[in-house]
Amino acid sequence: MQGQFRHTFSRYMFFLPALIFVLIFMIYPIVYNIIVSFQDLTLMNLKTGGQFIGLDNYTNVLGTATFSVALKNTVIYTVSCIFFQIVIGYLLAVFLNQDFPFRNFFRSIMLLAWMTPLVITGSLFTWLFDVDYGVINYILTSLHIISEPVNWLGQQSTALTAIIITNIWIGIPFNMILILAAMQSLPKDVYEAATVDGSNKLQTFWHITLPLLRPQLLVIIVLGIIYTFKVFDLILIMTGGGPVNATTVLPFYGYQLAFVNFNFGESGVVATVILCILLIIASIYLYMMKKEEVQ
Amino acid sequence: MRQYSLKQYMLLLGAIIITMIFLFPIYWMITTSIKPMSDIFTSPPMIIPGTIQFDAYINNLIKDQSLLPYIRNSFVIALGTSLFTLVLALPSAYAMARFRLPYANAFLLILLVTQMIPGIMMAMPLYVMFSNFGLVNSYTALIVGNTTTALPFAIVIMRPFFLSIPKGLEEAAVIDGCNTFTAFTRIILPLTKPIILTVLTFSFLFAWGDLIFALTLATDENVRPLTMGITRFIGQYGTQWDNLMAVATIAAAPIIIIFLVFQKHIVSGITAGSEK
Repeated sequence: MQGQFRHTFSRYMFFLPALIFVLIFMIYPIVYNIIVSFQDLTLMNLKTGGQFIGLDNYTNVLGTATFSVALKNTVIYTVSCIFFQIVIGYLLAVFLNQDFPFRNFFRSIMLLAWMTPLVITGSLFTWLFDVDYGVINYILTSLHIISEPVNWLGQQSTALTAIIITNIWIGIPFNMILILAAMQSLPKDVYEAATVDGSNKLQTFWHITLPLLRPQLLVIIVLGIIYTFKVFDLILIMTGGGPVNATTVLPFYGYQLAFVNFNFGESGVVATVILCILLIIASIYLYMMKKEEVQ
Repeated sequence: MRQYSLKQYMLLLGAIIITMIFLFPIYWMITTSIKPMSDIFTSPPMIIPGTIQFDAYINNLIKDQSLLPYIRNSFVIALGTSLFTLVLALPSAYAMARFRLPYANAFLLILLVTQMIPGIMMAMPLYVMFSNFGLVNSYTALIVGNTTTALPFAIVIMRPFFLSIPKGLEEAAVIDGCNTFTAFTRIILPLTKPIILTVLTFSFLFAWGDLIFALTLATDENVRPLTMGITRFIGQYGTQWDNLMAVATIAAAPIIIIFLVFQKHIVSGITAGSEK
């Protein structure tokens, strides 16, 4: 009996350290965000704890223009980043799936873009988007795509686009590697059969590759949403949310509320909203995966 | 040597061109840092540097040594995070793969959900917690903060690896007189070198690049890492792009070196992380 207990106990000992860490430093903060969103916690009463104030924080935050702008920007940012990352990543994966010398080197070297710390990428692209001496303006004017230099990060109409382009650059290699891995798991004989049947490339893509890749693409899209949704560093470095909130997204708004205004209660509201959105995405994903398995 | 056809060499040429265009920003960062100021502000931009000089590096590493403490802090935080993550993740991923623990699947789901929460949203509660314990402005706070990002990823990629090791190995070890713990340390650990390297590399990279926790959990320059150092230089240098790009290149150098050494582990880590 005691031996049995020791046996079970030693098994749990493997598990316990990580479990305790996750409970204290990961689960508790999530719960804390929700609790604090109903309190008037600021820097002033941080030590003593905030008072329960019902839904006041929610009416304050959700009613502001900044919140709706941030929500809109988050959606535009996430959708356009993921769309272009996956399309370009797919095209690159098709190219790198062919057999040629040193292809493994080319597959991985592009990941440098994804691995570089965002602070560095952010300041690098600020330089590339520079209005007077930036390379991007130079290329676009010499190709006659734009007639005069654009102040990419300095005006409301283009700032978000510039940040989206930066993030697309970062995410392309990541998506390319994942799509490539998915492609390599596809059965080869189906393609041979399609060629024998006289399908052209577009038909093969539409009727064979896409349906076969569907489950993996779903995973990649969900991963993409989650990683893109987190955007913070690029915005802090490149625009600081401006000009006039043109690049404020939800996580950045939450940061401003907590660490610029020190209104922890209101930042808890933003965190709770983000949590709800992510949970909805996760449930849609689980639902689709279940449907996929049934088929 | 394998023989390649002309078409395959054309594909190679295509790959070189695509890679050069794609990685141009990195090239531009490095060349900006070694150009004299007058060559930086030219129109059209000077794609191939005319004169090469290392003034910006001498300025920022030797003449002005204020960058060095940031580099040290980054190493302490990144190494601390990768070791702490490994110590927590290794046994628990093993346990989740091997023992039929009740709730292990629930734990996995919780990890996947917490992985989704933006770091900046974890920073506020952690800030409140650490300021109550007097831990704001400590390496501990930054290492714990970064571990919250690295740990879920580490467990998620390690668990399938342990599942792929045949169970008979430990059973044989137990028959030979090992207990659960020694079976793990003597038999399983030596087999896990590649995945340990993957986890160490990724957690190091996560922590090295972190700005969120550095910005929120440390207000004191003494513990702030290089990413915060860069933001200070952005304020200080404004549009002195040679200095700024030199600092950026210095900060990117460890990443590039680690990448070149551990390429294989990084690619396998990314693909493993996307499997369920």
